[in-house]
Amino acid sequence: MEENILEIKRLTKHFGGVHAVQNLSVVFARGAITGIIGPNGSGKTTLVNLLTGMLPMDGGVIVSDGATLRRMRAHEARFYGITRTFQNIRLFEQMTVLDNLLVVLTERRVFASLFERHGAYHLKKAEALLRQVGLWEKHNELALHLSYGQRKLLEIARAIGTDARVFLFDEPFAGLFPEMREIVKRQLEALREQGAAVLLIEHNTELIRQLSDYVVVLDSGKLLAEGKPESVLRRRDVLEAYLGE
Amino acid sequence: MDLFVQLTINGVIAGAIYALIALGFALIFGVTKFFNLAHGAVAVVGGYAAFFFLEHAGLGVLPAAALAVCVAGMVGFALHKTVFLPLRRRQATNLVLLIAALGLLTVIQALIAMFFGSQFHPLSQFAGAQEVYRIAGGAITLVQLIIIISALAVFGLLTLFLKKTKFGKAVKAIGDDEEVAQIVGINTHAIIGYVFFIGSAIAGLGGVLVGFDTGIEPTMGLSLLLKGIIAAIVGGVGSLSGAVLGAFLLGLAENLGIWHISGEWKDAIAFGILIFFLIWRPRGILPR
Repeated sequence: MEENILEIKRLTKHFGGVHAVQNLSVVFARGAITGIIGPNGSGKTTLVNLLTGMLPMDGGVIVSDGATLRRMRAHEARFYGITRTFQNIRLFEQMTVLDNLLVVLTERRVFASLFERHGAYHLKKAEALLRQVGLWEKHNELALHLSYGQRKLLEIARAIGTDARVFLFDEPFAGLFPEMREIVKRQLEALREQGAAVLLIEHNTELIRQLSDYVVVLDSGKLLAEGKPESVLRRRDVLEAYLGE
Repeated sequence: MDLFVQLTINGVIAGAIYALIALGFALIFGVTKFFNLAHGAVAVVGGYAAFFFLEHAGLGVLPAAALAVCVAGMVGFALHKTVFLPLRRRQATNLVLLIAALGLLTVIQALIAMFFGSQFHPLSQFAGAQEVYRIAGGAITLVQLIIIISALAVFGLLTLFLKKTKFGKAVKAIGDDEEVAQIVGINTHAIIGYVFFIGSAIAGLGGVLVGFDTGIEPTMGLSLLLKGIIAAIVGGVGSLSGAVLGAFLLGLAENLGIWHISGEWKDAIAFGILIFFLIWRPRGILPR
C-alpha cells in the first residue's frame, strides 16, 4: 500500500457488555479508497464515530499523520484532517444549500470568522463544489427542501469543502439514482487522485470491487479480513459472514 | 380614548423591554437548546453595574450604561465558561443545565442584595428631569422612547449581523446541529461563548434601561426573565423575529387586557397567553 495517512491500533469500543469494536488495527493509505464492509452491527459506523470523535474510545490509539491520539473529540477531527458523511444524512437544515458550504469554507478562528474577508474566493469555491455535484441551481434553497439524493450530494460536497486528508463516507450510494451514483463515484475517484485517504462504507460489493483499492472486512467489531478486493471478496469466511453463503 | 392610547403606548414600552430580554434568551437558546434562567440575573447585573458606575464611580450616564452592558456580557460569558461549558462537556442533560441556571439566578440575585441592599433604586435620579412627549393624547418619556428605539435597533443590528457575517452562519449551523458543526471544523465552544456575551449584553442593556425607566431591585430578574421566556415561546423559541413579535404582542396584550379590569391581572393575562400557546401552538407564531 501507499504511504499511510491514518492508522488505528487496537481500537476498542464497547457499549455495556456489547463489544462494538474489538482490538481493531488497520492502516489507511494516502491516495487510496479503502472499502469497509461487514454485516449490520459489525462496527463499521462505530468505527467512523470513533475516528471523528463522536464516540470516546475505550482503548487503543489513532495515529493521524504521525500524531498518536488516545482521545479524539469531534471538534478536533477537522484539525487532524478528518471529515465524514453520515448514514442518516445530517445537514444544516435551516440553512441554504450555499450556506451549508460557505460555513465550512470559513476561517475557523473566532475573530477571523467574524467578518467576510475572502468572501469572493469562498463563494467561487462553493460554487465550484456545488457545480461538481450538480446542485448549483439549488443554491438558494433551504437544505430542508432538497430531495434525498440531493441531500446526500450536498453532504458529500460539504465534506469535500473541508479540505480534509481523510474522508469517511458512510454509505454514500445508498438510495441514489444511477446518475447520482456516477456523480458520487467521480467525487471519490477525484479525492483519490488528489491524494486523500477515502474510507468507504458500502453494502454493495460490486461498488466496493469497482472503487476500492483495499478492503477491510469487519465482523462483530473484529477484523475478519483485509487485502485487495479481488482476493478478499472471494474468501469463504468473508462470504459466510457477509453474504451468509 | 386617551386611556386606550396610553395603554397602547405602555404596551409597546413593555414589549420593547421584553424584546431585549427575549432576544438574548432566544439567541442563547438557539445554540445551546436549554432554558438559561440565569439570563434574568444577567439583566439585573446590568442594572446594578450601571448603578455602581453612576453612584460610586461618578461616571456619566452614557459611559456608565455602556460599561454596564459590557459587564453584563462578561458575566454571561463567565457563566458559560465556568458552569455551562463544563456541564455540557460532561454531557449534562437540559434538566441539569436548567437547574444549574436556576441556582445561578438565585445566587446572583442574593449576592446583589448583599452588596447593594434590597431596596429599590431608580436610576432616573442620575439622568435629571426627563422630557415627556405627547402622542395622540398619550404620554411617553425620553427614556421610554429610547427603550423602544434600542429594542428595534438591537433586533435590526443582530439580525443583520447574524445574516451577513460568517459568525452568523456558524451560529446558525450550531443551532441546527452542534455535533456536525464541530465535525466540519466550527469552534462551537468559542462561538457559543461569544453568543453568551452578546445575548447577556443585550439583557444587560434591558436591565439598564428598566433601571432608568422605573428602577432596579435585586429580584427583578425573575419577572423580566419570565416575560422574556413567554415572549420567546409565543414568538417561536429560538427565532429572533419571533421573540420580538412575541414580546410586543405580550406587552400589548398585558396592557390592553387591563383596559376595563384591575392592573393586577397583567401577570395572569401573560401566563394565560403562555398556556394558550403551549397547548395550541407550542412552536410559536414564527417557529425557527
